[in-house]
Amino acid sequence: MKKNNIEGWLFVSPLVIWISLIILVPIYIAFELSLFNVKIIGTSGKFIGVDNYVKLLGKSKFLNASLNSFYWIIGNAICQTFFAFTIALTINYKFPGKKIMANWIILSFIIPTVVVVVIWKLMLSSSSGVINSVLIDIGLFDEATGFFSSPNKAFISLVLINSWRWSPFLALIILSGLNSINREMYDASKVDGANFIQQFLFITFPNLKSVLFVLGLVGTLLSFNIFDIIWLITKGGPSSATTTLPLLIYETAFTKFRISQAATLSIVTSFLLLLFSIIFIKSMAPKEDD
Amino acid sequence: MIKENNIKLIFLSLSLLLIILIFFFPFFWIITSSFKSPEEIIATSTTIIPRSFTLEHYNKILFNSDFFIYLKNSLIVSFSSMIISIILSVSAAYGLHKLKFYGNKFVEYSLLVTYAFPGVILLVPIYLLFAKVNLLNSYLALIVVNVLFATPFAVWMLKAFFKLIPNEIEEAAYIDGASRYIVISRIIVPLAAPGIASVAIFCFIISWTEYLFASILISGDDLKTLPVGLAGIVGQYQIDWGFLLSGAVLASLPVILLFVFIGKYFVSGLTEGAVK
Repeated sequence: MKKNNIEGWLFVSPLVIWISLIILVPIYIAFELSLFNVKIIGTSGKFIGVDNYVKLLGKSKFLNASLNSFYWIIGNAICQTFFAFTIALTINYKFPGKKIMANWIILSFIIPTVVVVVIWKLMLSSSSGVINSVLIDIGLFDEATGFFSSPNKAFISLVLINSWRWSPFLALIILSGLNSINREMYDASKVDGANFIQQFLFITFPNLKSVLFVLGLVGTLLSFNIFDIIWLITKGGPSSATTTLPLLIYETAFTKFRISQAATLSIVTSFLLLLFSIIFIKSMAPKEDD
Repeated sequence: MIKENNIKLIFLSLSLLLIILIFFFPFFWIITSSFKSPEEIIATSTTIIPRSFTLEHYNKILFNSDFFIYLKNSLIVSFSSMIISIILSVSAAYGLHKLKFYGNKFVEYSLLVTYAFPGVILLVPIYLLFAKVNLLNSYLALIVVNVLFATPFAVWMLKAFFKLIPNEIEEAAYIDGASRYIVISRIIVPLAAPGIASVAIFCFIISWTEYLFASILISGDDLKTLPVGLAGIVGQYQIDWGFLLSGAVLASLPVILLFVFIGKYFVSGLTEGAVK
């Protein structure tokens, strides 16, 4: 196909300009600010700004939040993969009500996150939550537990709640991959005597590569970015157990009012995520076939 | 053969049950609870089938709170963000789909990364930027941010829809002497209408559910959006559950209504070959 440089850029540029302005200008401001703090203390110099970064990297709060973010991403990836594949593979079968379910499964994604928070705060409430009372009725628990009271329980509950919100959306994207797989491959494998587990491992999974690439990249970054669900339920507690990097940035900037520290944090985090994205794209991007 | 089918049936029923319990039951629960009496909502013995019925919570939220102000703000912000997002992303998606140009792969992957990249990392810098240019506390602040969040994925989806339009139709139009503008407005957009509708819903949802930036960039009560208003109730020490639940149901209603009418385009758009 012949190149169409001017016209191509003409179509793309309004969006590209919009996005780059709203991303690059703020990042420049943040970068400037992360050096500015040093000037206030009274040392002016170009490279002294780096001290700000060095100090940050040694802080236990930063390390704790980075670790939490890491666990958060892994936990969400595992849970969401499980839920999303369960939903996608189930909806992919024929059963009565399939259409309705496929349309409405995404309900948890289209409602405001604040509503997600309201739903699960009530469901998991220790005094009047339906989950507690059901678990006690079956005999699994002796007494009501506070799902957000201990560090581990709070963290796991939040991972599950966040997965509840995102899995249906991811399931529909996986479903799009499933739909694009040639039906004849399954028929042929049946003739060869493959069971449905083998079909999943050797036909379904390999054919989802390009979809899984997008999900792996976007999903990881999206999980990382989650703020409101955690903030509105635990505020990062108990004892900072659910303080991920986004919460730390927010806290530093808007409850402790240390804007330059928060700016430094933002820059470091952007850099880490960018690095992850580049490595992920370079190593995992599927070969183009068109 | 029969044995395998049985296993499949058991698996299917089990996962259906699981899905219904996990993903649908909570909605039944908060909707029914929003009509329960305050005593029943906080009772330690929970009732699956409601024992009481009252409209007092809805009465309170509709006629005794700022609900309609928040609703108006959310509607203005979400519709404006949606329209701007659609215009920008249809143009960009067409460019990326049809016109191979220098740097198109770079733009494409950058968009994919920006889809997930912004969020909280940009919060502080954007706050500072908007403070500098006097944009804090305005609808425009939220619209600018929402468009940023919605468009990358919108472009990605739209591109997939454009791919489904046979090339010959467009070629034929050019032979008949149609201009690029005519081709886009008379052929591409109408043929991709279901796709554009589903992308529009996506953009609307992104704006409708956005909380973080709305809570920071807006400080005036008269400009707050629904999620921020609701979060204010969540944060109170003594939560008025009935009030909160009816608010949650009402805040979800507009997106659900929208979804009733064009939701099937959204779902089929997502499942029939988008994101490839």
